Amino acid sequence: MALLEIEHLKKYFPSPRGTVHAVDDITFSINKGETMGLVGESGCGKSTLGRTIIHLLESTDGVIRFEGKDVTHLKKDGLKKLREDMQIIFQDPYSSLNPRLTLRDTVMEPLKLSGRYTDAQVQAETDRLMDLVGLEKRFRESYPHELDGGRRQRVGIARAIALNPKFVVCDEPVSALDVSIQAQILNLLMDLQEEYDLTYLFVTHDLSVVRHISTNICVMYLGQMVETAPTQELFDHPMHPYTKALLSAIPTVDIHNRTERILLKGEINSPINPKPGCRFAKRCLYATERCHEPVELQEVAPGHFCSCPRAKELSL
Amino acid sequence: MSNAEKNLISVEDLVVEYHSGGETIHAVNGVSFSLEKGKTIGLVGETGAGKTSIAKAILRILPDHATQAVRGKINFKGQELLSIPEKEMCALRGKSISMIFQDPMTALNPVKPVVEQIAEGLRRHQNMSKAQSIQGAIKMLETVGISEDRAYEYPHQFSGGMKQRVVIAIALACNPELLIADEPTTALDVTIQAQVMDLMKNLQKELGTALILITHDLGVVAEVCDYVAVVYAGQVVEYGSREEVFDHPSHPYTVGLFGALPDLSKNVHRLSPVEGLPPDPSNLPEGCSFAPRCPRALEGCRKAPVGMSKIGDTHIVRCLLDGKEDSHGTVRD
Repeated sequence: MALLEIEHLKKYFPSPRGTVHAVDDITFSINKGETMGLVGESGCGKSTLGRTIIHLLESTDGVIRFEGKDVTHLKKDGLKKLREDMQIIFQDPYSSLNPRLTLRDTVMEPLKLSGRYTDAQVQAETDRLMDLVGLEKRFRESYPHELDGGRRQRVGIARAIALNPKFVVCDEPVSALDVSIQAQILNLLMDLQEEYDLTYLFVTHDLSVVRHISTNICVMYLGQMVETAPTQELFDHPMHPYTKALLSAIPTVDIHNRTERILLKGEINSPINPKPGCRFAKRCLYATERCHEPVELQEVAPGHFCSCPRAKELSL
Repeated sequence: MSNAEKNLISVEDLVVEYHSGGETIHAVNGVSFSLEKGKTIGLVGETGAGKTSIAKAILRILPDHATQAVRGKINFKGQELLSIPEKEMCALRGKSISMIFQDPMTALNPVKPVVEQIAEGLRRHQNMSKAQSIQGAIKMLETVGISEDRAYEYPHQFSGGMKQRVVIAIALACNPELLIADEPTTALDVTIQAQVMDLMKNLQKELGTALILITHDLGVVAEVCDYVAVVYAGQVVEYGSREEVFDHPSHPYTVGLFGALPDLSKNVHRLSPVEGLPPDPSNLPEGCSFAPRCPRALEGCRKAPVGMSKIGDTHIVRCLLDGKEDSHGTVRD
């Protein structure tokens, strides 16, 4: 069953030079216990989408449904209740923790605010959470600046799962960490998912990480979804020229089977008042006239959607 | 030709120590490597391993107030970089040896048009007139794929990838013999990273520049390096040609780094991270600095510092096990 569905979700920002189409008409759903990987380059709107879904930003248009209920326009009490179910882990464990609270106080805060627990229970629950994320006892009274990035991120995770949320947005949770620490945190996130049947929206620009953790993947380019498919299908049969280029650009450690690089020309264009048509057309090797007319997602294989009008004929 | 003549640069037993709050931070602890003309070496390691300190020691740009000691030898084309007068060092910096810094957002002067920032070096080192240097700078911008009409723009008008191109143009303007690139693509997206790496490879081929590439990304190393030095806690723990290190990673730390990578071609449910954290550089363990995290540490590993042993043509490893077991746990003889 779909835990979260979003339909035609939009988030626009006004700017002196015009309207920024940060998230432009995105539709997908995530089943309970699964992970949707959201990939794309910086500035493509993936973090904005994550934050709009959990109501850190107000959506401009579209519908967000959580457990079958329309939660798009919730306010006050309803929103407070929803926030217990929807949480976020931020990218930068250095700036997302309050520097003036000890780690223990940070994890305790949501427990106290919820009003679910007595004082004694709050203490016990805090310890349980910190055990769960593997934060050693000797660090629990420390302040964030005294810890390394990996441990700080563990605190960020403990805080996010404190009230047993059903859905967690992981916004580049391992991008700021070294590979060996990154692997520890990814393992932790997957263990927690198994144990508590959590549903993740995993936002990242790192395709090897997303492949490792996701059930489905959604590729974004300049505010739009260009392709979505189950993970294996997307890596085996990428249909959109952008996805193809993105996959080929990943440096791999296999020195004997090098794959051919597709080098994209130019850079991502501006999301301010974009022209109709495929937004990738300007950099695309296969663009034709009709790519400048409005494009729509089409089902190219079961569960596999792609917005490229030439996807089928190109068979990349 | 002897090795010493063939090498463009050789670093021997380099030590860098900082002082901070009464403590001595042992950032670099006896690093040695050498590099021939036109070749590329990758220094790989995690945050705090001392990679950037090595680079800054070569260029002698470590902050004076915090540096307690820089010892060892750095031989660049017969000159001993650690002992030549500052004036001679100035003549080398930017001309024979230049550096690309990690963050293109902060490496550029925000109040100067980019063309000026490239021309500066040309005037300083090539005795060019103002007009000539501007011409040269524009040519350099074109080499890195930025058209002339953007030459007089300021850094904030460029995207991250383009800023990094400008930084590369500055570094390569005087045709240096040695380029040190400190995480040149870490701040960039994969597609832009691919563009920048491609550009650097082509320019290197064209100009015959030797490259010291500092990175934490083994994928980038696989792509461009001839040699690899794995740095842990200020020491090289494994060194060898790219094939030697990637085909037979031999130090348990190197094996751990490979195990921690989510691999695109394999379906592994759980990653095998290196447990624990790097040691505190102000309080290094007595024996092998990796021993506290090492799954295969022996009694002897914790007692005394471990030396380098040769296990292949150019392959050396700082481990008592001498790489006798490879990553698959099978014993090689």
